[in-house]
Amino acid sequence: MSQLKEKLYLCSGLLSGLCIVIITLLLLAQIIGRFIGFIVPSAEDFAGYALAASTFLGLAYTFREGGHIRVTLLIQRLSPLPRQIQEGVILALSFALLCFLSYSCIYMVYESYIYNEVSYGYIPVPLWIPQVPVAVGMIALNLAVLDALIMALRGKQPTYSTLEDELSLEEI
Amino acid sequence: MDMTWISIILAVAMLVLLSMGVWVSFTLIAIGGIGLILSENYQIDLLFATSSWGASTAWSLTALPLFIWMGEVLFRTRLSEDLFKGLSPWLSGVPGKLLHVNILSCGIFAAVSGSSAATAATIGRMTLPELRKQGYSERMAIGTLAGSGTLGLLIPPSIILIVYGVAAEVSIARLFIAGALPGLLLVCLFMGFTMIWGYLHKDELPKSTGKKTSWSERIKALRQLLPVLGLIGFVLGSIYGGLTTPTEAAALGVSGALVLAALTGSLNINSFIDSLLGAVKSSCMIGFILVGAHFLTLAMGFLGIPSALAQWISSLSLSPMVLILYLTIFFVVLGCFLDGISVVVLTVAVVLPMVQAANIDLLWFGIFIVLVVEMSQITPPVGFNLFVIQSLTGKNILYVAKAALPFFLLIGLAIVFISVFPEIVTYLPATMSQN
Amino acid sequence: AKWHMPTPYGDGNLPTQIAYDFANEIKAQTNGDLDITVHSGASLVKHTEIPRSVKTGQVQMGEIFLGILGNENPVYKHDNIPFLATTYADAKKLWEAAKPAVAKQLDKDGMILLYTVAWPAQGLYSKNAVNTLADLKGTKMRAYSPSTSRLADLMGTTPTTIQVPDIPQAFSTGIIQAMVTSPSTGVGSQAWDYVNYYTDIKAWIPKNIVIVNKRAFRRLDKATQKIVMDAAAKAEAAGWTKVVERAKKDTKILIENGMKVTEPSAELVAELKAIGKTMTEEWKAEDPKAVGDILSNYNK
Ligand code: NA
Ligand code: NA
Repeated sequence: MSQLKEKLYLCSGLLSGLCIVIITLLLLAQIIGRFIGFIVPSAEDFAGYALAASTFLGLAYTFREGGHIRVTLLIQRLSPLPRQIQEGVILALSFALLCFLSYSCIYMVYESYIYNEVSYGYIPVPLWIPQVPVAVGMIALNLAVLDALIMALRGKQPTYSTLEDELSLEEI
Repeated sequence: MDMTWISIILAVAMLVLLSMGVWVSFTLIAIGGIGLILSENYQIDLLFATSSWGASTAWSLTALPLFIWMGEVLFRTRLSEDLFKGLSPWLSGVPGKLLHVNILSCGIFAAVSGSSAATAATIGRMTLPELRKQGYSERMAIGTLAGSGTLGLLIPPSIILIVYGVAAEVSIARLFIAGALPGLLLVCLFMGFTMIWGYLHKDELPKSTGKKTSWSERIKALRQLLPVLGLIGFVLGSIYGGLTTPTEAAALGVSGALVLAALTGSLNINSFIDSLLGAVKSSCMIGFILVGAHFLTLAMGFLGIPSALAQWISSLSLSPMVLILYLTIFFVVLGCFLDGISVVVLTVAVVLPMVQAANIDLLWFGIFIVLVVEMSQITPPVGFNLFVIQSLTGKNILYVAKAALPFFLLIGLAIVFISVFPEIVTYLPATMSQN
Repeated sequence: AKWHMPTPYGDGNLPTQIAYDFANEIKAQTNGDLDITVHSGASLVKHTEIPRSVKTGQVQMGEIFLGILGNENPVYKHDNIPFLATTYADAKKLWEAAKPAVAKQLDKDGMILLYTVAWPAQGLYSKNAVNTLADLKGTKMRAYSPSTSRLADLMGTTPTTIQVPDIPQAFSTGIIQAMVTSPSTGVGSQAWDYVNYYTDIKAWIPKNIVIVNKRAFRRLDKATQKIVMDAAAKAEAAGWTKVVERAKKDTKILIENGMKVTEPSAELVAELKAIGKTMTEEWKAEDPKAVGDILSNYNK
């Protein structure tokens, strides 16, 4: 179970990285195309979609790795029990917020689908397709926060927080 | 509800959430949501989705993850070491020594990248570990990086100059040229300060070896710089040689870095994936904060707080110099809570007419705006260079902000300079129109 | 009620100025009951997100460049078919011919059409003088949509995608040598800094439209609805008059700043007309019934 979870987090990071590679290839194709005289249709649209996909698909991985930054100056000074309560409270708040955000993103995909929305560039892309990764990434982040919340409720230190502490050790 | 109260509630709520340890991006989204509720706008779900989709698909942002990746690739090669080896015989006699590498590399890289966060991330990835290894004061290493990273906005190309140029109908070509001398001025101010600091704090720098380096050694050392300079030259050449636009240049930068890594034997499947995952971690963090900042900006647009403040300043009918002073304070205060570019977008419609009424040159004002936006990049709680450097070093944003404070003041000094000597801005564009 | 109206372009542009007048007129007529805040320069909502925001009621009304809807339905494309309507009188006639189809499509998507503001006719900016199409042969021309790309092809140039902010640098560094856009855009971006020749080919006359969310509109009482519609009619009339003055003024500014502004040669006009014919046929093929109706109304 926990191995599967590890794989899913890594998968989130790799998919996001893949999108960065895709942006690079699209821009390179556009430069080469301009040089030898062909157009990559809607290249900037697709680069934009890949950017959105990269940002959202990687959210869960980044969260888990302690990559999303926050101000730890005050909370680092708390003794273990208050600190545990503090992490529990902010994780519960974040989980509630993210449930709402996930719902918003799913609803956006649904609306683009029923309204048949298409992009404005060369190629009319049905917008719900590039919006799916946004919703998926948001749900994955939602689950990652839930995962950390469960850990915190069980009295364990969430993984992101361990990694943050490793970073601060490195400073000394 | 009264707008003053709304502003106070939102600012306090933001500070409370942040100090509780809520993630920056989550905080910005939450405050945006509260702002929308206070503006009696209840379609928060639709507005969040629309604004996030718009923010995360922006063409001008596509370069950011690529530059961050470029930094990750270069960090894994010997190139960053070579950069120091090549420069240290030249800088060993200068007070502050290799701290100047931060400033100079940011200044040069700023000619390739249009954003401040990308500049700080790419250069910092290469220089910070090396400076730490050699025993430089961490605080100064961070401060010089935070400060000179903002040069990405002033030295052309620049995202913020494009945003301003489109909004104010000022020629982007002229704005780019106008940014060059103030960019040099900032580099000089930063280096001058670092020299004075280095002179006064010899104990916080690595011990000097005492041995004099000969000229032939210095020249020989320069060879180590060839790969890095070649890469930058290649990207710059392709921009000014008409092969590529500045946004696309990021793709050339990353490919060039990969080729260099392959040539020096430091590229394999593991280092490739490591570099990519490193880029994911930084660019997702920044991307999601941008999503939050965009949403908060939307709420501010509905509430009208920034434009109401600007209107208040406008109603005072101040003399040009006092107006500039007020506007500086106005932008710095707003820039603490919103990202700098959003502040410009939100207020330009109100600010520009009063600037024109005061007979202030719009070209000059564009450079002024960039300088204040640069300041907002290094003020807490919302400052993108602080975020980038926290993720590079694990140092808290408040620590980074403190380290960057002297550089914040130096940018302020640059504003004083260009106000007293506007020719620093207008000289080069004026020679352009004589042709 | 307090309404929000995002617009895509900055305060210096004619459509935005008319939007402010429109909002003020309504505020005055309703004694402040309907207070519309204009958010210019895409400061509230990004241009491409404005249709969706109005459709779903996130904002009550908004302004868009009609051309960005081209992919949704061929009827919107009447707005950028080159050399179909090249005078303001013709453009108005074409708009009258296309309006019922446009309004019907917008209504289906939950929006009501309020008014339109035309842009000055699109001219040809180029590095070198253009007497016939042969002068452009082999150069690179800016394209930003399927129709501008097709136009570049038919003009014997290579279509090249460049984003608006990159235009000055693209000209200076030789990525492109020509583009088709309005004199206002040229003035706004100070085109004389990077390009020398402007040929007033009057390729087409594109428009912005202002739309309102249907539900938001129906929530207004009958009297207020009438005030809005009257103000819209007034704005549209003002738009058609002012655009002509604006085109003259902006073309003059181009000349004053040293650009060589010329009328197209008879030969060039003939060549361009032929291209227009081809592109009109191609447009008609996309939806023979709807487009055919527009064309027959227009040619009446
Ligand atoms: Na730059
Ligand atoms: Na700030």
